[in-house]
Amino acid sequence: MARVIDLHLHSEASDDSRAPVEAYLKWLARKRDERPLDGIVLTEHRQFDTQSDYRALEDKYGMLILKASEVETEYGHVLVYGVNDAMLQRFDFSNVRLRAQELIDEVARMGGVAMPCHPGRPTIGLIEHYENRPPLEGVVGVEALNGGSKKGENERVAELIDTYGYHAFGGSDAHLVSFVGICATEFEKDITNTEELVEALRAGGYRPVDFRVRRAPAQPASSGT
Amino acid sequence: MKTLYFEEVEEGDELPPIDLLLTKDFVRKYAKTAGMDFPRFTDDEGARQEGLPGMIAPGVLSMGLLARLIGEWNQAAQITRIGTTFRSPVLPDCAIHLLGFVTQKDTERHTAECDIWMENDDGERWVIGTATVLLPTRNS
Amino acid sequence: MALEFDRSILGQVFDETDFPPVEKTDLLQFADALGETNPLYTDEDAAMHGPYGGLVAAPTYVTRLRPKKMTPEHMPRFGKVGFDGGRDVEIFAPVRPGDRLKMVSTIHDIYEKTGRSGSMYFIVLRNEITNQDGQKVAIVDHRIMQR
Repeated sequence: MARVIDLHLHSEASDDSRAPVEAYLKWLARKRDERPLDGIVLTEHRQFDTQSDYRALEDKYGMLILKASEVETEYGHVLVYGVNDAMLQRFDFSNVRLRAQELIDEVARMGGVAMPCHPGRPTIGLIEHYENRPPLEGVVGVEALNGGSKKGENERVAELIDTYGYHAFGGSDAHLVSFVGICATEFEKDITNTEELVEALRAGGYRPVDFRVRRAPAQPASSGT
Repeated sequence: MKTLYFEEVEEGDELPPIDLLLTKDFVRKYAKTAGMDFPRFTDDEGARQEGLPGMIAPGVLSMGLLARLIGEWNQAAQITRIGTTFRSPVLPDCAIHLLGFVTQKDTERHTAECDIWMENDDGERWVIGTATVLLPTRNS
Repeated sequence: MALEFDRSILGQVFDETDFPPVEKTDLLQFADALGETNPLYTDEDAAMHGPYGGLVAAPTYVTRLRPKKMTPEHMPRFGKVGFDGGRDVEIFAPVRPGDRLKMVSTIHDIYEKTGRSGSMYFIVLRNEITNQDGQKVAIVDHRIMQR
């Protein structure tokens, strides 16, 4: 059962991460007081992992481990939850030019949910594309809090959510072990599997949670050296 | 300088941060020494002509500083692999912070994996990476 | 949907460069430019008693070795602008004063994704560095982004 879940992270299966899934779980166990997570969702870039079975790790660490994908569209990057065979046949996840509207419609029809991530980021976020293109239909929520964002990128999302009434969730977007769970999503109801996650993400009743601990900016001792 | 043996290093250990003011002169000196004496690394005007907001630090300088972070944590840590992703241009004349953690230990190989990154005062991570280090053991 | 290009260019050697012998001052200057304080890279006497029995180069010294041809003559062009996306360095042996290093360069990989600045193509150039004894010193993978 899980209420607090990191909905966005990358393991060594992604081309730009070297983090083993178990290293993430060990890190969360160590940081339990700071980042009280109950689960993680692996969102590998441009692919879906049909092979790995994480049940043993779930038992060992008492964590829910689910699998999803981060794919690329003309409206930016989109997280797809509830990936199944039908979706994998319908879409080539490695295609970096997927059609966002088609993806959102078809994923919903096939039993999943497709949700734009880091909407405030240049080029790969929704907000910039909404300036030039019509808004997408059927978006239920966006990643309002992303652990990899630069200054201002998360802040830009508030207006988008106000305007379109999207639900807001959070994720760490961790590529390094030590960043797992710095941002996450708290659900009102317990989640025990992918079906329940999809249902909850569609229905609402969740909010982003920020577990980042800001280090007091230390003053440089000297220039250069 | 400290020497830490494999047995003394734990998963979760923080590498002592390095906070420094990355000055333009420091960047220019590196660029000259490393044979990268190009306008984008030495001169604001030249960098602007290349479409950059001003002169930037070479990515390999950031990587070198992150390698230094490991050496200052443990001078006996022998880097066998280091990988860095340059997420944003590094603009000098600001404070930067080099940070890292030991994330995994391999008891057979006597190696450790470290997360390493460079961030600014706003916590924006401009360069992220990992390194594998070989550590001396008490028994050998 | 794989990116389309002539895959036969992958792995082909486009440059071989023999470098002049490494000077001790090169190593000291390089360490100084990074603000290195580790005596293994900065202090000949102290390094003598260290694990290498002498001065060695700071770990990223190998990234400053520049091949005669930085890129192949028929470098694929997928965009107008090139950026430095990152480096992956594997280190097998230390660089010491007097070493005569050789570098062999190939295109290792090409792939596509989208990032903050739009659709991006990654070209991975690989530099394999050996020393005068034929010993493998390092492999440097250089990720160049084009858009």
